[in-house]
This record gives sequence, C-alpha cells and structure tokens, in this order.
Amino acid sequence: MSGLLGVFRDELHRIFTVKPAFSVLVLGAIFYAFFYPQPYLNEALRDVPIAVVDRDGTQSSRDLARRVDATPDVAIVRQLPDLASAEREVYARRVDGILVIPQFFERELLHGRPSPVALYADASYFLIYQRVAGAVAAVARTIGVEVETARLIGIGVDPALAPAATDPLRLTAVPVFNPEGGYATYVLPAAFVLLLQQTLLMGVALLGTWPDANPAERGRSRPRPVTVIAGKLLAYLALQAIILPVYLIVLPYVYGVPRLGDVVPILVFAVPFVLSVAGLGFVVAGIFRKPVRVSLVLAAAGLPLFMIAGFSWPSEAIPPVIRMVSYLVPSTSAINGFVKLSQLGAPLSAVQPQFFTLWALAFLYNLIALLQLIRETRPPSPVVADRVLPAA
Amino acid sequence: MLARSRIRPGFWLVFWREVGWLRRRPFLLGLTTIVPLAQMALLAAVFSAGLATRLPIGVLDLDGSDLSRSIVRMVDATPDSAVAMRVGDLAEGRNLILSGKIHGLLMLPRDLQRDVFAARRPEVVFFYNTQTLTTGNLTARGVNAAVPTASAGIRLSLRSAQGQPLEMAQTDLQPIPVQTNALFNPTLNYVFFLLAALIPSVLQVVMVTTSAYSVGLDVETNHRLRILRRLGGGILPAMAGKILPYTILFLLVLGLSDVLMFTGFGLPQRGHSLLLIVAGLLFILACQFLGALLALLLKPTVSAVSIGTLLTAPAFGFMGIGFPRLGMNAFSHIYGALLPGTWYLTARIDQTVRGTPIDLSWKPLLILLAFTVGLAGLVAWRAESIRLAADRNSRLRTAPQPLAEVPS
Repeated sequence: MSGLLGVFRDELHRIFTVKPAFSVLVLGAIFYAFFYPQPYLNEALRDVPIAVVDRDGTQSSRDLARRVDATPDVAIVRQLPDLASAEREVYARRVDGILVIPQFFERELLHGRPSPVALYADASYFLIYQRVAGAVAAVARTIGVEVETARLIGIGVDPALAPAATDPLRLTAVPVFNPEGGYATYVLPAAFVLLLQQTLLMGVALLGTWPDANPAERGRSRPRPVTVIAGKLLAYLALQAIILPVYLIVLPYVYGVPRLGDVVPILVFAVPFVLSVAGLGFVVAGIFRKPVRVSLVLAAAGLPLFMIAGFSWPSEAIPPVIRMVSYLVPSTSAINGFVKLSQLGAPLSAVQPQFFTLWALAFLYNLIALLQLIRETRPPSPVVADRVLPAA
Repeated sequence: MLARSRIRPGFWLVFWREVGWLRRRPFLLGLTTIVPLAQMALLAAVFSAGLATRLPIGVLDLDGSDLSRSIVRMVDATPDSAVAMRVGDLAEGRNLILSGKIHGLLMLPRDLQRDVFAARRPEVVFFYNTQTLTTGNLTARGVNAAVPTASAGIRLSLRSAQGQPLEMAQTDLQPIPVQTNALFNPTLNYVFFLLAALIPSVLQVVMVTTSAYSVGLDVETNHRLRILRRLGGGILPAMAGKILPYTILFLLVLGLSDVLMFTGFGLPQRGHSLLLIVAGLLFILACQFLGALLALLLKPTVSAVSIGTLLTAPAFGFMGIGFPRLGMNAFSHIYGALLPGTWYLTARIDQTVRGTPIDLSWKPLLILLAFTVGLAGLVAWRAESIRLAADRNSRLRTAPQPLAEVPS
C-alpha cells in the first residue's frame, strides 16, 4: 500500500515539475479555458449585411425592405439598381445576400396574384445562409398572411374565420435544450470534453516518455507494475478532480451556457473517462517513446476526433466502419455522454452505453499499458532513456 | 563522408542533406506525409455522404385520422427527416430524444382533423433537439417543409368549400413566395462547405509543428545553428535549403487532397487555378516560417512544438467557417486575422465554389504574401541576432569549434 502511495506522490510531483507536462496539463488547460470559447461568445449572427434591389419602388416594396431590415438577423446595407452590381458586392464580401423585389410587385399583390420576390443568399457559409434565408422567409410569410387575411375579409369572409382560412393548421417548432439555437451553447459543452481529453492525453503521454529525474532511486525498490499503473492513475484522477469540474461546471456557468443536469452524475461519468484517457496516454507513450514525438503526433488530432464523435455531423451520416472505429477513442462516447448529462439533463441510465464503453476502454488501455510495463521491466538491463539530445 | 575541403557550402548542400535526413528518418517523413494524409482520409470518410438525409424523428399521433396520417406520410417523404418510430406519450418521446435514437418529436393533437375543418386552428408541435445544432435544424427543415404543404391542401379545400374558384384559391395560398437561391453551394453540400475547410486546417497544425521540429533540430543550440549557417554559406541559403524539401512535401500533400476534392468529390473549381496554387504555396511558406520562427525563439524544441500546437490546434474556430467571423468579438476577429489559414481559406473559397472575379481576389493573396515575407524576415533577423550574440560570446573563448558532422 505504501508503494501505491509512493507512486501516487511521485507522479503528482512530476505533474508539477516536468515542465512540458505541467505546461499541457495545467497551463494549457487554463489557457484553453479562456482562449477557446472566444469566437463563439456572441452566440448568434446578428445584422448580417444584405443588399436590396428594389425594381418596384412602391410603398409595398419599401415596406417589405424595411421590415426585413428591422429583423435582428439581417441588416440592409446597400440599395442597388441591378443584380449585377449587387453580385459584385457579394464577391467583394461586402454583403452576404441580395433581395430582389421585381417590378410590379405591388400591382400583382393588389390584384390578388402571387407576387414573388427573389433571394440570393451566400451559401459558402452555412450559418450566414440560414440567417438570411430564415429572416426573409419569415417576413414574407407574415406580410403574406396579412395580405391574404385582408383580402378574405374584403370578399366577405367572417373576420373571425379569416385567420383560420389563411392558416388552418399551425405548426409550432419548439427547439429544446438549446432554445436560442446559440452557437456557444451548442459547441462549447462538447468542445470542453475534447479539450479535457487532448490535454490529459498529451500530458500523460509526455510524462510516460519523460525520463525519471533520479534514476538512482528507481533501482532501490521498484514497485510492481500494477502498483505503478494504479498509483499514476490515482494521481491523474486527483488532478482531474479539480480541472474537470472547472471545465464542465464552472466554465459553462461563466460563459452563460445553461446546464440542466446534476453535478453528481457528471462526476460519476467522469471517472471512466479520466481512466480511459489516461490509459490511452500510457499506450501512446509506449508507442512513440519520445516527448517531442508525442507532441507532434497528437498536435493535429483534435479536429478529426471532434468530427468523428457524431456531434457536429450526425452519426447517422458517418459510414458504419468509421463509426465502429470511432468508439476506440474515449471522446466519442464521452462527448455524447457528458452532453446528455449536462445539457439534456439525462439521468445516468440514459448514458449507460457510453458509460460502459468508457469502462471497457479504461480496462483495455490500462491492460495494454500494464503489459507494456511488464515487458519493459522484466529484463534487468536498465531502460535507456534515449533523449533527443546526443552528447555533442 | 566528404573531406572538409571538398564540401562546397551553399543552398544545395543543405537541401540534399535535409533530403538525406528525411530518407533516414521515417518518423519525420511519416509526420509530414502519412499523418496529414491519414487525417484527411478520415475526415473525407466522415463527410463522404455530403448531405445528412433521413434523420430519424418520432411521431406522437393522438388523432389517428386521415389527416394526421397524411401529415406523417408527408414528413416521412421529405429528404431531411424520416419517421423512425411512433411513441405512446410525451415522456417516451423525451426519453428517446435523450437516448439519441430520435432527433425530434412531432406531436399531432387529439381531434386534429375535426378542429381543422371547424376552423379552430389546432396546433401541431414539433420538438427538436438543438443541442446538436446541425442535426436539429435539418430535422426541423424537413418538418417545416412538409406541414405547410399539408396545410396548403387544407386551405385549398376550405376555399373551394366557400365557393372560391379553384385558380383564385390557389394563387391566394402564398401571396409573396420567396424564391431562395443558395449562392455558390446550391445543394448545401457539407463536403464543399466543411470538409474543404477542415483539410487545410489540419494541414496548418501539421505544417507549423513539424517545421518547428525540423528547424529545431538544427537550431536548438548555437553550435548547431552555426554549422547550418556554414553548410549553407550564409543564413538565407541555409534556411531556404532547410525548408524547401518540406515545402515540396506539403505541396504534394495539399495537391493530393485537392485532387481528391476536385475529382473525387466534385468540388467546383469556378475560379483561377493559378491563384489557388499561388495561395496554397504562400500558405505553406507562411506556416513553415512561423514554425521556424518558433524554433528560433523557444528552446528546447519540444516547447516550440507545444506553443505551435497551442496557437494552431484551436485555430479552426477562429478562421470563421462554422461560426463566421462577422459574428465574432474583437479579440477573435483580430486573432483570426493573424492566422495564415484564415486568408488561405478565404482565397480557397473565392477560387473554388465562389469563382470570384480576379480583380476582387487579391486581398487574401496579398495578406498571405505579407505574412510570408514578414515571417521570413523575422526568421532571418532572429537567426542573425543569435549569431551576433554568439560571436560576442565566442570572442571570449579561444578557438572556434571544428565543423562537425551533425548528430541525428
């Protein structure tokens, strides 16, 4: 037992003294907490600039343009005479959409004929397209209902019945869990989980490849491999007992991301997450063996791992083979599970598949790490700590 | 090895030495080629479908009438959503959303049909999960398209029942139809939107970190920097020879990914290929010089690699693809403007899907050029100032160190 405690203490000490590991595990975690959320903090696009080409120039066409401009989503920043000049503005990235109101817009409307308008919205950025298309469609629909109701009353339909005739079946779409459709609320809970994984993974792998400070002490009474792994895992759990709640509970609060779930299930779910990521870190360290290699190999992995998690791109659309492989990475199950627990307020029972997958990964990776360690320690020959620096 | 007298220092000496290193170090070669290519292949596989279709939703049909059944059929028939299951009550639907089996729940109230024809305007409710924004919005799009179609049919029959001529009733249905055109990506294909931007973002991280590493191998100590300078016969030819082999490798990787995008996925190429290639080359050089500068500023090399990772790994959010830059706060806007990737992606979108006219295409290219020149200047200045400082120190010592073979 004292062996376990010794390993635990040593590893905790190393977390704070091995400079690259400290930079990633502690400084990196603090830096990302401030840095990463910045682009998304405004939550939604407001006042996306569009141009209007008003070929009608009547009361009705100006009213339509004014009401489009009045929505929070878009702002009319240019009045242009023709489509060609408006297109140039789109190419120059000064506007992101063009609303064309054709000639005789008002006349058609007054004559009771459909009076179409055309909208060209920049779909090279999907969020911009959604905003512009949604805003213009909503205004056109509202004006349309007003016009139609007035017309029905005009031809003698009972005013009480007219709304029913124009809109007999109301559709109310209720967004749940992120009712504002905010981008930070959407992306941050998942991104925080990925950041936790990437910093812990790299930190553990760096510690695993970093040569021990005092090899003389190692020779004396080396603890058994099981004790080494268990002691190190305890040290990482202790560290994450502080960092993880900050990331998943304090930071969402600071950034105004609503959290529906209780704290306890989140913490229970975090245990296999930390153990599996740390286990994967041991395995990565065993494969690459040098700190600089670990940093290089893991550097660009975050983005692809986020995309295979089935969060920002529906998992139904990911090829089944990739989906199977993706379960080998803790983040796939962890993002899913943590988001459900904290954002959807799901009980632990709803994340059972993810919970068990993480436990399975934790056992698998730590078992591999154990075998690596046993193979390494069996021969009495000292493990050569081949640093990058040769003697000059 | 050649005797010292026969070595002719210069650009090519450093260049061929670097090529030799790459051949003898499979890790470095793999890092610059296989790692980014594997990550690109993975991303390409994830987004290979391009469009997410038939996303599962649940239906709670409390009416069970002809009308409610026809609404369910119409919702199922839209490309975006598929009715995966029927649920007995709201609690069951909620649990299914929590478990992730469905992304939305369509609730058709009791007496829907009777109330519609009695003009009581009943309410159909669609609950959808916007915690997963993309998926939630796609299912909502499907339902939003289907229900008004059903509603239009009802309005038509209501009007006909009131004695309006059919043609007139039909035109009345939507007084102001909006013909929406999705410019540049009419099918809203995620391959052209997201995948096309993700690949350069991954490459940016790889280029900055591996450049920091490979340059770091030669500049980690002043001694080795001096060797590099002597081999190149000056710091500029030495740096050029050092960097060029990787420029060629990265161009091949970027070219290969573009071949996949253009021929495999059919990414439209409406702009000018020459501008796209120039932008790619400047992007690669800017990232390489950024990595080289980090290696010159930060010792040991592993710190330079870490800082390179710190700066570029979270860069995707700042480059304004998912959440556009026009919605960002001032800090993010400025930080995004300092990333080469932001301007490469701008130039790339201009020259692929948008087909921007040449006279409006220059801004991102000029910014990339400014980055490249500026970073190259900083690299040269930093290397030179290290040499001057080292010279001052070595004057205190006696003999200069002999030209040694660089250890690996």
